[in-house]
Amino acid sequence: MGGLPTNRTVNGFAVEPGNPKVMYAAMRDGLFKSTDAGESWKRTGSELKNFAAVTVNPKNTRQLYVATADGKVSISTDGGLQWKAQQ
Amino acid sequence: MERKFYLWMWIGAMLIFNPTAVLGEQMEHRPAAAAAKTDQKKKGNDFEHIHALATDAEGRILFLGAHTGLFRSEDGGSSWKKMAVATQHPHLDVMAVTPDTKDSKTIYVATHEAGVFKSTDGGATWREVNTGLGGPDVHGLAIDPNTPSKLHAVVREKGEGVYRTTDSGGKWTRVDDGPGGEVKLLASVNIPTGMGGIFLYAGTAEGLQRSPDCF
Repeated sequence: MGGLPTNRTVNGFAVEPGNPKVMYAAMRDGLFKSTDAGESWKRTGSELKNFAAVTVNPKNTRQLYVATADGKVSISTDGGLQWKAQQ
Repeated sequence: MERKFYLWMWIGAMLIFNPTAVLGEQMEHRPAAAAAKTDQKKKGNDFEHIHALATDAEGRILFLGAHTGLFRSEDGGSSWKKMAVATQHPHLDVMAVTPDTKDSKTIYVATHEAGVFKSTDGGATWREVNTGLGGPDVHGLAIDPNTPSKLHAVVREKGEGVYRTTDSGGKWTRVDDGPGGEVKLLASVNIPTGMGGIFLYAGTAEGLQRSPDCF
């Protein structure tokens, strides 16, 4: 296990419905992704921070939405690599 | 209390000398609230503080739970409309939004001050589903992806603990003390425990924790 900062608040969490080993954790330090059910984590979409929440589209699991604590919503269509602000 | 506590295991570990973690330490002290206020004015949004984001079962509607209530978007988050959840509680602090994983018309929300609400018509009308719930401050609400009539809720302060319903909110029963630390979210994840259940994940102030859901 590694890569996910410990003793830090996990504000948001989502998994791919059909493949729940793919997980996302929304934290102040960034968005973290695991593809092995939480054994290891890597930060994704590195320019963004201060996440409050994350969700995966159950009909298109490459499509993710995140919200930052200050109210900005962004969308990714490639599993979290690239993000586009929605507002 | 102590026996139950150890059921919840921490997930992940900090990499030693991880520069991200160090940077994060500095950010903890940033006046985030002040920055947030300015941004909202620019955007015209009125969320104040966001707690939750969820997609409906059809992947068409986004729900956002915030300090100022429940919002929905039909254009992928570009525009948001506030939803009226309960007239007797006009200023609900929405802590969790939990759409049914199979029926896109059924949605549950957890609130800071009035427990759990349920809608079966896509959010047009809502009713309280709090029978058996020990307190009004619900910080996490998880729906079982295999059996959507089974949900778990984390209650804070009065009546603290994890509660379970097996009849879509008809009645709640306290089943566990819950994870340590302030709970931010609860999620049922379809990973078998080997004991007949699946795992419950909790996002807390101390990191991500998980426990088998067969309390």
